[in-house]
Amino acid sequence: MKKKSKNTAKKITRKDAVKKIGNYGKYAALTAIGTYLLLNPQKAQAASPEEPGSGF
Amino acid sequence: MQPFRKSSFVKKGNDMLIKKIDTKHIVWFQNSNSYLIFEDSTTAIIKKLHAKQPISEIENWCCLKLEIPKNIAKKFVNDLVKLIQKQHQKPCTKVPLLAMRFVTPNTYNSSKHYLINEVSFLIEFETEFLESLIHPKFAHLEALKMKATEYHYQIFQNDEHIIFLVNGKHIGSWSCKDIHLFQGKFSMQITQHTHQKEAHEWLGVFHASAVGNDTNSLLFLGDSGNGKSTSLALLQANGFKCLADDFVPIDAKKQEVYSFPAAISIKKNSLKTLYPFYPKLKAASEYRFKRLQKTVRFLAPNNLDYTTHLPCKALVFIYYKQGIRLELKTISKVKAFEKLIPDAWISPIKENVALFLDWFLKSPCYQLHYSDAEKMIETVHKIFNDDL
Repeated sequence: MKKKSKNTAKKITRKDAVKKIGNYGKYAALTAIGTYLLLNPQKAQAASPEEPGSGF
Repeated sequence: MQPFRKSSFVKKGNDMLIKKIDTKHIVWFQNSNSYLIFEDSTTAIIKKLHAKQPISEIENWCCLKLEIPKNIAKKFVNDLVKLIQKQHQKPCTKVPLLAMRFVTPNTYNSSKHYLINEVSFLIEFETEFLESLIHPKFAHLEALKMKATEYHYQIFQNDEHIIFLVNGKHIGSWSCKDIHLFQGKFSMQITQHTHQKEAHEWLGVFHASAVGNDTNSLLFLGDSGNGKSTSLALLQANGFKCLADDFVPIDAKKQEVYSFPAAISIKKNSLKTLYPFYPKLKAASEYRFKRLQKTVRFLAPNNLDYTTHLPCKALVFIYYKQGIRLELKTISKVKAFEKLIPDAWISPIKENVALFLDWFLKSPCYQLHYSDAEKMIETVHKIFNDDL
């Protein structure tokens, strides 16, 4: 299973991709279905952080 | 060794919900209150695991369906079981009420009365700093001193924490770094009290702006600085109702957008655009937020009926940038969901999650990029009038 993350995603060429996945290339369907996206909502209601920086 | 030979990961209380989204599925896990988006085949495996089908049968199904060898199928199913177990085992995401002793102050720096929807509030602020966190957004609701008030809010500091009491009940305590959570809880209490609805009756609160006509509303979403509040101010100057800025509550029963009475927060770089419509903004007090390097003024909403609640016509991900051509396009549900969830508070009650997902999946989602205010207003009219 592979978590989809925007921060770590980087573009590679098809040739590089084929090299990387090696023998697993023939299981392309598995690679696709093994990718998922995890989303967590806020734990509590929040306002936009607009507080003065000096704190208390 | 082959762990998880039985589909035993479904334990009591490990509940989940599955809904189709575009060509994929959203799976919500109750324990972790997390939303995972999977491809169809993966969801099929999750359903089989949840139905407690023997693992060997599921692995065989994978071999045939995905045309993969047995050892690969075993590893895949095992990885999926581990991932799901992790969601089921995550601790409950409820923010614990910070247990601490506190001393209620004898005197307060200021006591202010507010009247919203005929509901009266007395809010006491121990310091000027605490007042600055709340009052500027609600100054337009300040009322003359009242003999009796329905809600008595006390806001004070103890040991580097903000303490919030409502009618003598401790609502919460927050450290200096969580001021936005204190403000969020304050806003939620105001929402509950002005609309007379308990916490469990709300579907969620969205980081958005909401605008309405007489029958419907639109939610404007997007990152900070994308133009949500400016667009709202422009629209309210052109005949639309301001329902809410920054904090948009939606109820569970009818999934309607409810009015939130705070003022609209206008950033310095939007003032020039808005002066022709709101000359009073020129003389409005300015508030500087050093850490965020922004300066804002507050603009009172034009809709004085804070009881307003309207069905949501669509979700619009808005983006203002000088010089760009107006572009309105439908965006995929997955993309919209990906943008919506991390900034929103969604009720973690299972029934509410089901209602939220149904509401979201039936709501059209658009992306609107613009620089010309008149064209944006015209487009918003078209969205309201089904005239795209």
